[in-house]
Amino acid sequence: MKIGGWVFLMVSWGIILSLTTFCFIKVFSKKELK
Amino acid sequence: MVTTKKRDTWGSRLGIIMAVAGSAVGLGNFLRFPAKAASNGGGAFMIPYFVSLFLLGIPLMWIEWTLGRYGGGFEHGTAPGIFHSIWQKNRFIKYFGVIGIFGPLVIFIYYTYIEAWTLAYSYFALLGKYAGISNQGGMQSFLRGFQGLEHNQYFQGIGTAYIFFLITFIANIWVIYYGIKGGIEKLCKWAMPLLFVFGVVLMVRVITLGTPDITKPDWNVFNGFGFLWNPDFSALKSAKVWLEAAGQIFFTLSVGIGVILTYASYLSKGDDVVLSGLTAASTNEVAEVILGASIVIPAAFVFFGPVDIQSIARSGVFNLGFVTMPLVLNKLPLAAIFGFAWFFLLFLAGITSSISLAQPAVAFLEDEFDINRKKAVSIFGIVSFLLCQPAIFFLSRGVVDELDFWGGTFFLVLFATIETILFAWIFGMEKAWDEIHKGADMRVPKIYKFVIKYITPLFLLSILVSYFWQKESRALIFMKDISPVNQNFILSTRLGLLLMFLILAILVKVAWRKKRMQAGRIK
Repeated sequence: MKIGGWVFLMVSWGIILSLTTFCFIKVFSKKELK
Repeated sequence: MVTTKKRDTWGSRLGIIMAVAGSAVGLGNFLRFPAKAASNGGGAFMIPYFVSLFLLGIPLMWIEWTLGRYGGGFEHGTAPGIFHSIWQKNRFIKYFGVIGIFGPLVIFIYYTYIEAWTLAYSYFALLGKYAGISNQGGMQSFLRGFQGLEHNQYFQGIGTAYIFFLITFIANIWVIYYGIKGGIEKLCKWAMPLLFVFGVVLMVRVITLGTPDITKPDWNVFNGFGFLWNPDFSALKSAKVWLEAAGQIFFTLSVGIGVILTYASYLSKGDDVVLSGLTAASTNEVAEVILGASIVIPAAFVFFGPVDIQSIARSGVFNLGFVTMPLVLNKLPLAAIFGFAWFFLLFLAGITSSISLAQPAVAFLEDEFDINRKKAVSIFGIVSFLLCQPAIFFLSRGVVDELDFWGGTFFLVLFATIETILFAWIFGMEKAWDEIHKGADMRVPKIYKFVIKYITPLFLLSILVSYFWQKESRALIFMKDISPVNQNFILSTRLGLLLMFLILAILVKVAWRKKRMQAGRIK
């Protein structure tokens, strides 16, 4: 795999994993359904 | 005395997030995405993909969650009622909402059959039924025999496939029979984590493949990832690539179908939709970009090499999933276990999607005709069972492709365009912005006010126009590549779809007349 491939893989995974982690941390720290 | 029936509700926040994510994570995450990415610029495909995710997918998620919760407040769980609640002065808007029941129903009638194949193949994997097959021709013959398209040494007819269809269909009906909390939520809360476990196991297995054949050092897993991720920036000049990325975001997030409207209608007015919608979308992205991109294409590259992988990536979703992947897994130790994991993962992805496709029609009967859930599910079960039959028995005639184009492609974009315009322009952006933030656990960045009002609708309209522009779509609409023998089947399918749409529109008219009469009696 070329450097460019690694960059796209790492950036894509990074964006998605950060967003998902942020969301789930917030979900578990916030209120339940009414 | 008029009694108001209490609508079903979600049991927990995680429950609805898992249900929406389950609806979004489907066969396309593991089969369609990697093939599209590999054939449309590799890593560079991720640029239009993320642009579409943030300008189209996530805004549509928020729109649908908000519209659904808003409609639920008026005891409407499907688009006709939800659209009517938004634009009460317009008598015709509810008929546009018919697409939100029609689309999922059309997808359900062929998706359930394909889902049945995944269940059958997971059983075949454990039994070693295709273990002796070592080439593409043999595996294709196995699939065609299973589908009843030819009689061969593996299958003597469609019987086995039909039995698995019956099991899958009954499983779907059984889940929706138990309702939102007792059926759908319960299933998704264990099926989704299990799906991720299977996905991670398969991903780790693929990453650790290394270079299985030392005489072919280039046929290694890193080059397999490279085939998918190495960027080809010239692809970005092609409008088709941008369109493919936008289309993929649409299909993968299950937006524009009507199922999210229905699921969100079971929320209360003060329940958050911003964070929950974003969490469901990001969960789907993990399944697609991380798991989906790390299994089928890298594994196929390792065993078929850099030349054959080109044609494999373009060979279509069914070929990738049911021909290439079993051949790859056959070459591994513990092939039966990994084969089972692969097909059962697809089955879980399928069933969590198909139950969501069934729900709008059931909710429509419950909400607009005051029919109890069990009766509504029974009616849905009988009608949809009959509607599934042409997809099963006329598969070779192109019926499934036709259903997929109208129900699973064209109407999705049309429906999303209508709901976005309705939300941002008719309901009004200021009111819509307040509605999104009711009970919200996080603020939507302000830029999205502009995005939802201008960018998302323009993006959708351009996709809609390009569908007619594209050679492939025109060929499909005008039946250019269809043999004269199959043209009658295609025309009959179109006639059937038109009839389905008209029946649903008549049902909407009847329901509203009934409600008007009831309201008149109360006065």
